[in-house]
Amino acid sequence: MSAIVSRLVQALMVAILIGTATFVMMRSLPGDAAWRIAAGRYGYDNVDAAAADAVRAELGLDGPAHMALLQWLGDLVRLDFGNSLVTGQPVVDEIAHQLGASASLALVAVLLSLVIGPPLGILAGLRPGGRLDRALLVTSTGIKAVPQFLVALVLIVILAVQLRWLPAAGHGAARHFILPSLTLALGLAAVNARIARDAMARIADMPFWRFAQWKGLSERQTLLRHGLRNVSVPLITYLGLQFVTLVEGVIIVESVFGWPGIGHALVHAIFSRDVPMVQGTALVLGLGFVLVNAAIDLAIRHLDPRTAA
Amino acid sequence: MSVLDLSAAPQPPLSATRRVGVVLIALVAALSLLGPLIVQGDPYAQSLMKALAGPDAAAPLGYDHLGRSVFHRLAYALRLSPVIALAAVMTAGAAGLALGTLSAAKGGWIDRCLVMLADALLALPGLLLILMVLAMVPGTALGFWAGLSLVLWVEFFRLTRAATRETLASPAVQASRLLGFGAAYVFRVHIWPEIAPMMLTAAAFGTATAIMAIAALGFVHVGMRAPTPELGLMMVELLPYWREAPLALLAPVLATFALLLGLTLLAGSRKT
Amino acid sequence: MTKLTLRAALALTCLSMPMLAQADETLDVVAQFEIQAPEPSTSGYIFTRMGVAETLVNAHSDGTLTPGLATSWEVSEDGLTWAFALRDGVLFHDGTKMTADTVVNALEIARAKPGPLQTLPITGIAASEGTVTVTLSEPFAALPAFLAEFRSQILSPGSFAPDGTGVKIIGTGPYRITAIEPPLSLDASAFADYWGAAPHIADVSYTGVSRVETRALMAESGEAEFVFGLDPASVSRLNMLDTVEVLSVAIPRTLLIKVNAGHPFLNERDARRALSLAIDRTGIAKAVLRYPEGAGQLFPPSVAGWHDDTLAPLGQDVEAAKTLLRNLGWAAGSDGILRRDGARFELTLTTYPDRPELPLVAAVLEQQFRAIGVDLAINTTNSSEIPAGHQNGTLELGLIARNFSLIPDPIGTVLSDYVGNGDWGAMNWQNEGFTALVRGLARGEGGDAERAQAAGILQAELPIIPIAWYQQTLAVSDKVTGATIDPFERSFGLQTMRWAE
Repeated sequence: MSAIVSRLVQALMVAILIGTATFVMMRSLPGDAAWRIAAGRYGYDNVDAAAADAVRAELGLDGPAHMALLQWLGDLVRLDFGNSLVTGQPVVDEIAHQLGASASLALVAVLLSLVIGPPLGILAGLRPGGRLDRALLVTSTGIKAVPQFLVALVLIVILAVQLRWLPAAGHGAARHFILPSLTLALGLAAVNARIARDAMARIADMPFWRFAQWKGLSERQTLLRHGLRNVSVPLITYLGLQFVTLVEGVIIVESVFGWPGIGHALVHAIFSRDVPMVQGTALVLGLGFVLVNAAIDLAIRHLDPRTAA
Repeated sequence: MSVLDLSAAPQPPLSATRRVGVVLIALVAALSLLGPLIVQGDPYAQSLMKALAGPDAAAPLGYDHLGRSVFHRLAYALRLSPVIALAAVMTAGAAGLALGTLSAAKGGWIDRCLVMLADALLALPGLLLILMVLAMVPGTALGFWAGLSLVLWVEFFRLTRAATRETLASPAVQASRLLGFGAAYVFRVHIWPEIAPMMLTAAAFGTATAIMAIAALGFVHVGMRAPTPELGLMMVELLPYWREAPLALLAPVLATFALLLGLTLLAGSRKT
Repeated sequence: MTKLTLRAALALTCLSMPMLAQADETLDVVAQFEIQAPEPSTSGYIFTRMGVAETLVNAHSDGTLTPGLATSWEVSEDGLTWAFALRDGVLFHDGTKMTADTVVNALEIARAKPGPLQTLPITGIAASEGTVTVTLSEPFAALPAFLAEFRSQILSPGSFAPDGTGVKIIGTGPYRITAIEPPLSLDASAFADYWGAAPHIADVSYTGVSRVETRALMAESGEAEFVFGLDPASVSRLNMLDTVEVLSVAIPRTLLIKVNAGHPFLNERDARRALSLAIDRTGIAKAVLRYPEGAGQLFPPSVAGWHDDTLAPLGQDVEAAKTLLRNLGWAAGSDGILRRDGARFELTLTTYPDRPELPLVAAVLEQQFRAIGVDLAINTTNSSEIPAGHQNGTLELGLIARNFSLIPDPIGTVLSDYVGNGDWGAMNWQNEGFTALVRGLARGEGGDAERAQAAGILQAELPIIPIAWYQQTLAVSDKVTGATIDPFERSFGLQTMRWAE
């Protein structure tokens, strides 16, 4: 129960921190907000004093800061995020739309990483020090040292441009998922595989494992009956921590592949001083982290009852 | 470089992989520090006639799209990001160490507040924080330093707090306290030796993270601005010319990889 | 066992990949523009370019105005009343008829929002049977050109909320929107009841991709058939490929330095000339932009009337530049930078990354100005910093790309930029002779001689320093034929394209 309470406290802290911090930050940005918003709205060919004045009048940007903050917090309690300053659409709608694109990308990436990483890790962990184990160590260390944008770059140049197997960018069809999700998945799998390998090696060294084999179970049966559940606990724990890495990856990958998700939106919102959008997106990301980790707390308790004690 | 200075703190001898890491970092450092001394040149000087030309005596890695020497730009870029990264890691390390020790030693509401703050920051993607600080602080390098410090201190804080709590509860510290030694002595003799090896790992990871973040934001055009030579920016500037001048693009790619691999290897496994 | 499954999965994935890359029957258009909202005043140019929305007046590629939704127009003797005869039988995409009332409604809503219509001396827009009448408070000869601009597009009344905000794009064009997902995509298909010739390609899609590198890669990999707005580097790379054709046309857009002529270093004409003489326009054009030539004067040859072949072109002469500055009292300091009365000749050049070539050119200018002893700091920032700096007087130099024909008659832009102290034009510079000439031209008095004379004044005074004339480039896949580029950036020309046999 206390775990839930501490997650709630964390969520509250996140909300307060983001709410006030982004507000102060966006208010103190260099340059006049009305001008930037006008540039975002009308484009560089058409932004001029008339456009900036129109924005200023429409949005009441001249009002005192603390009033705007109080109003925002009040709206937040009523779950009203306000309208985007650039597009004029409700922030909730924009985020809901973009979150879907990002979440589907992230989900595919996580699934892909789970297909790639843990099986290799388990195989390596069954024969510690073997050829696969050593190869996996070198590969995963190598991949961790490559920034994600570089992975994206290499994948695009090889798979899209040279071999012409996959589209370089865009979204909409299933094939558009492959390159961005693979970029994200490789980074995640490099870690997944190591976690699974260490857990497997530890389990394979335990007495119950040797007993199971001695009683005549094949390696495959032992793995299915005793191994997987034990390996899954550290894997799932780590998945929660990887959420932040995933979100950061999403910001970069979406920008490189032109994916219309929340990371893309965030970068744009910060550029054009779209205060409600930045606050909304940051809040969704922060609370998403807390939610994912709370879910993982519960999942772990279910898989490994010892932790509940 | 300062990463190596940290390794002077008492700790187990370097493992083979860590040694490879140190060698890689040393190679990259030599390229960036000694390279320009051997082949003199200016990272900003352009000669449009030589745009995308191959290597020659004045530019061992050829020329970029504005006829600037890739070698000298790379050498400069390999100083810029690590310097910002190290400054941020040191700030974050000092802050994390101080607050972590304070938190563990005082306990009570100070501890609770700091932990809540750290937890809340942990829930925010680092790049988001850096982006916001960059948008606020004038001067990109300063913004990166501030943003990265803000992101990185949490890790140091958590490590220090956990280790210090454990150490403070140990019989050895109880004994020292009974003998009347002050807080400074306890920190120097008991706590620091416990934390130092972890600090090296965290610092190497932090430096790698910072360099990656600077390059990544440069690559998506929201980090350092042209014409500053910066690793991510160099890559994105040279990307369109990958057919015409593959070597020019490959140089920053390989250098970044070597530097980050060196730091990852130096950091070793998280369990140490 | 597990290994086997893995291998099979891997093989299957590899085999299926080439099939995934197969093209469908949709023409994919990619450009840098993001769709803000279904709102003509902000994203309207995407809808007109995609052939979704239309304007009363169209422009031919040589700049002459042609009938659009209006079949003809005439002006009264005193130049104060314009009558536009509307095309018969035009239907909006929702099936309703376009009438004089719906046109007036669309124009009135456009006029209430920031845009060029707001700057005109319009006193009223009235509807009568099949005709729209615009009344002015003073003569304005370029009115039809303003009605060809994208913000004057005609949408059905159902496109707007009661307060005039755009909520849906219901136009009259050959393509009808089937799905729109701001900020990045739009699908459209041929509109069966279009008044003109039906398009050959039934389904089109638009994708906004802000990164130029990514756009070029999409053209290179064959993912998109029509890729707009390429950077110079990608153009030469794409030219090496057989599957892609790169089209390029000179457009009435000029890359120029906007100069604060009120700045103590820049208020003498010779100082501005010296800066102009420091610039290697041919080098910039060939190496950075990969164009055949630099700009010898402000107006490119495509701006009929305003471009003057007899004008002596601007060129590079570093020694002459140094002499000019020496005569103004500047002397080199120990660091090679000029000084006068204790002040160091240092300036900030503001530019923006929205057009990828601008920061590149800025980096080159920094070196070329250093050669004559001028220290240039580059500030690459949000595009709004230029008009904002113009307004508060802090701008020193700005590197910008200015289109003279967003309104197909350049007079609109010239009037606002160089007479009206416009945000993207001359700064702290006024010239009575020039003002008189241009005002006369706007009323419809005078012709090419007066235009050339006005251009000559700009060339001599240099309130702005031209650097290069733009080429618009786009990549078209060999899967389609019939692509053209509109120099006025009004249309992608999708309706004339066909699938290759």
